[in-house]
Amino acid sequence: MKKLFSIVLPFLILSFFTGCVHVEEFARKVKGQPEEPKADEAPEEKIIFDSRTYRQKAIEYEKQDELQLSLMHMNIAHKLSPDDDEISEKMAYLRNEIDQKADQHFNEGLKFIKKRKFKSARERFVMALKTDPDHKEALDYLKDRLSGKGYKEYRVRKNDTLRNISNKFYKDPGKDFLIAYLNDLESNAPLVPGTKLKIVTLGTEMTKPPFDMDKELTDAKTLLEKKAYSDVLRVAEKILEHDRLNQEAKDLKSAVYYQMGIKLSRQDKYVEAIKTFKKADPQYDGVEDATQKATDKELKKAERLLKEKQYKQAVAATQNILNHDPSRKAARDLINTTYCQMGKDFIIQKDYVQALDVLSRANPEHGCVKKALYDVKQISKKQAEVHYLRGVKHFLNEELADAIKEWEMTLALDPEYKKAKESIKKARDVLEKLKQVE
Amino acid sequence: MNKTRNRRKAALTHYVILCFFLLLTGCLIGKPASTPAPEVLPEQPEISHFRIYDDFVVVKTAEEDTFSSLAAEYLNDPKKDWLIAEFNDIDTLKTGQDVIIPLKPFKKGGLQTKGYQTVPVLAYKSFSKDKPGLMSVTETAFEAQMKYLKENGFHVITIRQLLDFFDFNGQLPEKSVVITIDDGWYALYDIAFPILKKYGFPSTLFVYTDFIGGGKAMSWKQLKELSENGFDIQCKTRTHRNMKKLRKNESFKDYVASIEMELAYPKKLIKKRLDIECSCLAYPYGETNNLVIALLKKHGYRAAFTATGESNPFFADKFRIHRSEIYGHDDMKMFKKKLTVFKGMKLE
Repeated sequence: MKKLFSIVLPFLILSFFTGCVHVEEFARKVKGQPEEPKADEAPEEKIIFDSRTYRQKAIEYEKQDELQLSLMHMNIAHKLSPDDDEISEKMAYLRNEIDQKADQHFNEGLKFIKKRKFKSARERFVMALKTDPDHKEALDYLKDRLSGKGYKEYRVRKNDTLRNISNKFYKDPGKDFLIAYLNDLESNAPLVPGTKLKIVTLGTEMTKPPFDMDKELTDAKTLLEKKAYSDVLRVAEKILEHDRLNQEAKDLKSAVYYQMGIKLSRQDKYVEAIKTFKKADPQYDGVEDATQKATDKELKKAERLLKEKQYKQAVAATQNILNHDPSRKAARDLINTTYCQMGKDFIIQKDYVQALDVLSRANPEHGCVKKALYDVKQISKKQAEVHYLRGVKHFLNEELADAIKEWEMTLALDPEYKKAKESIKKARDVLEKLKQVE
Repeated sequence: MNKTRNRRKAALTHYVILCFFLLLTGCLIGKPASTPAPEVLPEQPEISHFRIYDDFVVVKTAEEDTFSSLAAEYLNDPKKDWLIAEFNDIDTLKTGQDVIIPLKPFKKGGLQTKGYQTVPVLAYKSFSKDKPGLMSVTETAFEAQMKYLKENGFHVITIRQLLDFFDFNGQLPEKSVVITIDDGWYALYDIAFPILKKYGFPSTLFVYTDFIGGGKAMSWKQLKELSENGFDIQCKTRTHRNMKKLRKNESFKDYVASIEMELAYPKKLIKKRLDIECSCLAYPYGETNNLVIALLKKHGYRAAFTATGESNPFFADKFRIHRSEIYGHDDMKMFKKKLTVFKGMKLE
């Protein structure tokens, strides 16, 4: 009896303080029944939260083909009404639908890839992921395979070196340092067959074959021997793009211009020859001498033209020389002499206005020009007086238009002739008044 | 003998009565005090009733509950209020309403039947008080643009959130947008900073370090201040060179060395001056190539931004993230055009 007291009494006191819940709990455990929800998952909440709302939402989402959202809401309904078998069945159905539809979209995506319709493939993979966000293959295609990785993978073979791999992918063994760096390898370390290397894909600009300067120079020299001048210039320019200080390329260009100039000189095209020589480096062997010779020949041509009184052609030829070398004294002399001769001819022809015009283009300090100008000015003054008086005569005879013509001639010969200016003004005023009277 | 037996009998009777009493009172009064009353559901409960499951919490809302308070309580982040609103497809809360709080993303990648979410990343360069320039937005225009975002339900998110979205881990608000500002002009500190602060918008500044401390640029001290005020400071190379192309007469080796310097130097300097780990980069002129991307990865960058003027889906390339540049002469119509948050799909 005492034993019974000592066992049962503490248990009963405990149940007094904690309530019979624990007694029930204990009994359940003994019987092997499942636990009831804890205090914060009180059984009364079955009444508080209604699963029907979520079930209804799940059905609506299913109709909209939003299967994931449908499953989520059905899951909520299931958690709130765990004993509802219909919900469990619906969830199983939705899971199956999700799997099937996701795979269907994914497989369609693969077919589009085969047809190289990448946009449509991408859309199918998006749909597969939308249907099943855990579809890893669809995600892989979307994230990596469709967008391109930007590099190629290469497995090292026996006897491979970084230089030959670089040559294989970049057509340039010199880019081996890049492969080594991006794959964390030592540049000189031997490669282990089977090692996977990432070879970054470079743009065309960076994979151009390396520029072989020596080969290009040899080619250019051969072309020069063949007198293929435009090709030599093209190659030389290409070399200078890579090395703008390359003297051999510069010399090749000068050689071309020198030879072309010589050829033009032989055809008596001295001006064109001078222009061509000017494109060459003046220090290039023979260029200065050849330019001098072409200039002398063009000068002689101008002198000949002067002798033949073909003044305009003489002036043009001399001017061409001066355009290239304004300091050339013989050419400056010749052009002044030409203008002087032209002026004198106009004086002889009593065309003083033209004479003045031509002489004014020459250097007034040039001996011949200076004297001719003095002469023509003296004659012009006298002639100006004659024309002025003729004008006065016309004016007195009331031939106003003729008077103005004479005075204008006066001014052409002597622009400083004040009386002529005043008389023209007076005559024009009278003419204006007469017009008004009429 | 009989007496003793009677005493024992009486004691046993008393004992049984005591036991019965103890058991009865224990059962009647011993239930936990926190158990809610089962009989009648209050129409407007004063406290929230809730039930927590693995992937959601269901709550019957109390009067004081808001989306933010629920998000703070169950998601540990009041800023995740939008998750609750979006899942339940509601704008406001009513007392006594059943609300589901999702504990896992329910719309990964912003995927929907009709298409998918895209996130615009806005790229500002400089700001001016009142005169707009090609890349210089006036104070008034910037204020109006930020106000538009605030009033039209846009969520300005951080680059970290954007990268989670690209990892197909997290879920973003349906109208999410990222704000970035390039170079480090002083006008950002003077004009944009107070406006962003006013609206509580996070933003990222991409600086090219040779510019910092120069005439019209911010100082390191000002950058530090921005950083302390929530600005995310990231890299935009050292000298702002176009990294896509070789310079004239630049050898390939020199080019690679130059890009290495452009990527490594600012990362180190920003760490040293601001104690910030630079993990993102904005490409100068928005231009890049595979080699630059490979070198970025080598230097531990996680993402990089172009200027291709589109919005970004979750499957965007993290090293070619699109950005839409905001120009000084953009009006509100043009600004809105750059806020594309959804890409529709019509399956072939």
